Amino acid sequence: MRGQLSYLGVELARPRVAFFELTSCEGCQLQILNNEASLLDFLSLVEVVNFREAMTERHDDYDVAFVEGSVSRADEADRLRAIRANAKILVALGSCACFGGVNQLKNRFRDLDWVKREVYGDFPIITQEVLPLSAVVDVDLCIYGCPIRKEEVEKIVTNLVLGKAISHPRYPVCMECQASQNICLFDLGEPCLGPVTRAGCNAWCPSNRRGCWGCRGPADDANLAQLEKIMAERGVSAEAMLDRLECFGGFATQADLLRSAAADGRKP
Amino acid sequence: MLFKVFAKDELPKLFDLLAANPVIAPVQKGVDQHGVPLFDFDVVHDFADLRLDYTSTIHSAKRYFLPYAETLATFTVDKGGWEKQVDLNIDRRQVLFGLHACDINALNKLDKVLVQSAYPNPFYAAKRRNMFIIGLQCTPRPQCFCRSMGTDFALHGFDMFLTDLGDSYFAEILSAAAFQFMARIVTREPGHDDHERYKAVVAEKNGRFQAKVDSSDLTKILDMEFESPAWKAWGDKCLSCGTCANVCPTCYCYGVEENVDLDLTGAVKTRRLHSCNLIDFAVVAGGHNFRPHSHARLKYRYYHKHRGFVEAFEEALCVGCGRCGEACLAGITVPAVIASVREGG
Amino acid sequence: MENRLPFIDVLGGPGGRRREDFTSFEYTLPAEITSLYALTPTETLYQIRIIDPTARQRFTFQPGQFVMLELPGIGEAPFSISSSPVRHGDIELCIRRVGNLTNFLARLTRGARVGLSGPFGTHFPVEEMVGQDILLLAGGLGIVPLRSPLSAVLENRSNYGRVDIMYGARNPAELLFTYQYEEWRRFDINLAITVDQAGPGWQGPVGLITEVLKERLGQAGSLATGTCAIVCGPPVMFRFVCDLLTRAGLPPQKMFVSLERRMHCGRGKCCRCNIGSTYTCLDGPVFDYWSVMNLKEAI
Repeated sequence: MRGQLSYLGVELARPRVAFFELTSCEGCQLQILNNEASLLDFLSLVEVVNFREAMTERHDDYDVAFVEGSVSRADEADRLRAIRANAKILVALGSCACFGGVNQLKNRFRDLDWVKREVYGDFPIITQEVLPLSAVVDVDLCIYGCPIRKEEVEKIVTNLVLGKAISHPRYPVCMECQASQNICLFDLGEPCLGPVTRAGCNAWCPSNRRGCWGCRGPADDANLAQLEKIMAERGVSAEAMLDRLECFGGFATQADLLRSAAADGRKP
Repeated sequence: MLFKVFAKDELPKLFDLLAANPVIAPVQKGVDQHGVPLFDFDVVHDFADLRLDYTSTIHSAKRYFLPYAETLATFTVDKGGWEKQVDLNIDRRQVLFGLHACDINALNKLDKVLVQSAYPNPFYAAKRRNMFIIGLQCTPRPQCFCRSMGTDFALHGFDMFLTDLGDSYFAEILSAAAFQFMARIVTREPGHDDHERYKAVVAEKNGRFQAKVDSSDLTKILDMEFESPAWKAWGDKCLSCGTCANVCPTCYCYGVEENVDLDLTGAVKTRRLHSCNLIDFAVVAGGHNFRPHSHARLKYRYYHKHRGFVEAFEEALCVGCGRCGEACLAGITVPAVIASVREGG
Repeated sequence: MENRLPFIDVLGGPGGRRREDFTSFEYTLPAEITSLYALTPTETLYQIRIIDPTARQRFTFQPGQFVMLELPGIGEAPFSISSSPVRHGDIELCIRRVGNLTNFLARLTRGARVGLSGPFGTHFPVEEMVGQDILLLAGGLGIVPLRSPLSAVLENRSNYGRVDIMYGARNPAELLFTYQYEEWRRFDINLAITVDQAGPGWQGPVGLITEVLKERLGQAGSLATGTCAIVCGPPVMFRFVCDLLTRAGLPPQKMFVSLERRMHCGRGKCCRCNIGSTYTCLDGPVFDYWSVMNLKEAI
């Protein structure tokens, strides 16, 4: 029997949590289940009432809803609104939920009907412009990353239980990359969005010698203009930089600005 | 100061003697896209991995004294209360083999603020005191401006300092421990020729310096130019990414992070290197940010290093190693920033 | 000779001689909360007792100094001591709920264990103010660090001349230590309180603290020679009040302010509280106005 949670003599409520997925690979939820060493501790801290990937039982009386994935169909928007109505705290889990994720790449094409024909042919399927959760409902908290880091989710959940404020690093990935004693990927001739992307991943990709693609979205006060110059100086084309900025949707605003600037520049 | 000279093939023997302790030394980490070798400090087990011909390392050896992240304390928490455990995170002596003068001077500067001050930091002091340091005469690169900062020679802060005389090393011996190790390899007393060769090597080194910083009257100039447009121009370039602070041998500012264990029976307090260029450096409780703009933060970095530290310790918190300028993707270098501020923007 | 170099324990073994005290870091004093008293919905007055009697006896502080208070995994932060420096025993901290640590503190109950270190920083030189008039000017939470020098003055009231407290708050509900106002007046303290917005039943003045100060300065607009001022409040208040006092003829070295910055160590090592080149934790938190005038970004 699980007893009352407490810390330093302060009694803490065990939140009832639920996990849901919209358009996604469900990889973020898998990350949480992957953490076998600490899964039991995690499960004793919360009461999971709904987790399709992990259990059959389901209830709709939850405090915290973790929603993975983006909204790409009207029925998903309805489902999301229903989750929002039930949850005290709605958490966007992963890049798809936070920014649209890889799914929103199709938004790059103006003609979405063409995209649908290219991908699905005549197969009857309903699909629309891909949206992050925040375009449909109010989101209380974002957990960034593609995929999320399980350690970060555990930290956030612990802090939720304790009533501590949830905060993300406000600075770019470079800070963590340098602290990992990595060779800067620009020195190796590879472009990287580390200088403008929000840290918190512990420079996961750059530590494996892969340039950052910005899955955690922009850092506070990210200096995109300077990164543009840096990329240009190093012979990285604007289109190659846009490929990265547009990959996960976190830099959608900045990418749009760059595209329109580039289009203006081409005008005679 | 005690001087000795020994043949180059004695050095591996000295290394092997010292290798009874963990040895940290410059090694090659890779090559950049133009084929230029990239060096960094790492734990070395074999003399053959040592690269004493290294120019500079990407990162300073700071992490062995001030790790980027370090546990300051752990707590056990139960119903009855809690207890705190403090560990200084060092349990043995370590050898730093091949530190250049700039990096030794960086440690001497850190000693002043972290040890020889009110409330000395035991985490740093424990690592510093347990480091056996072998210095090495360098070959300056174009971006080195240590000579401007008065840090091109190390007078103390090491156990032994080596200068390459071609077929032999000229050794300055500063500690009893170093003297004892030297007694176990074949050395000889330096003669007139050795002294002449030493002086020639140093003269040759001195002729190589290219970058310069004019630090005369700089504390006053910085106050006069507090509103200089130069700061804004450099601030616009700055990525606020903290790379400079990470590669710097003297940056020590930090933040503390507290986390409760997932099972609520313990907690960890972690010190993390922070950088004054990061957006949240001067945020106070309640959310107010005393330096919300990148140019104000960049300026603060220069004020701390070239004004505040000078006021407190009569020397700058900069050894002119040039690492920050080299690591900065935006190309912000200390000589260029200070020159532009002196010119009034 | 052994190739392995002997380990040096900087904390020193028994009888080990060392010049520096390396135990001022992290080796906090276990303490307990002996009482919590909610002054307002957001501010609580805590009484805190160092558990070890010897350490408690040894713990002395000067008015205006601060302590670092720690809760494992929640946080550590500086707080001005708000009680009398003369009396040994429990120290009092008045703490507003603004962040993780302060919010969690408010959830604790009597007997809860906290970690304490200090006292740190500079203090209000009340010993040098003997025989002089004293103006204590507080805005909002600024009354908290002022209560300590005030207590010191009250302990030896006859040593000082005229003493004024001018205290401004946003509204009557946010006034702190209301239960002590009568006591202060009994000690012949001129207490003038003003609020930005009057509430129900409020009969005192409404307006800025500078208005109250102007009234005190009177027609002449000047102060008796040998007057000292202690000012504490939000940054915007410092400039207006100190300007007014300067015009009233008070020299900058006779005005003392207490500044607030985020500190991660309280020991001059983390640099988070630096103003220009000055450490708020070591060179402050109490500065004379002359020092503050020379600091960039101070107020």
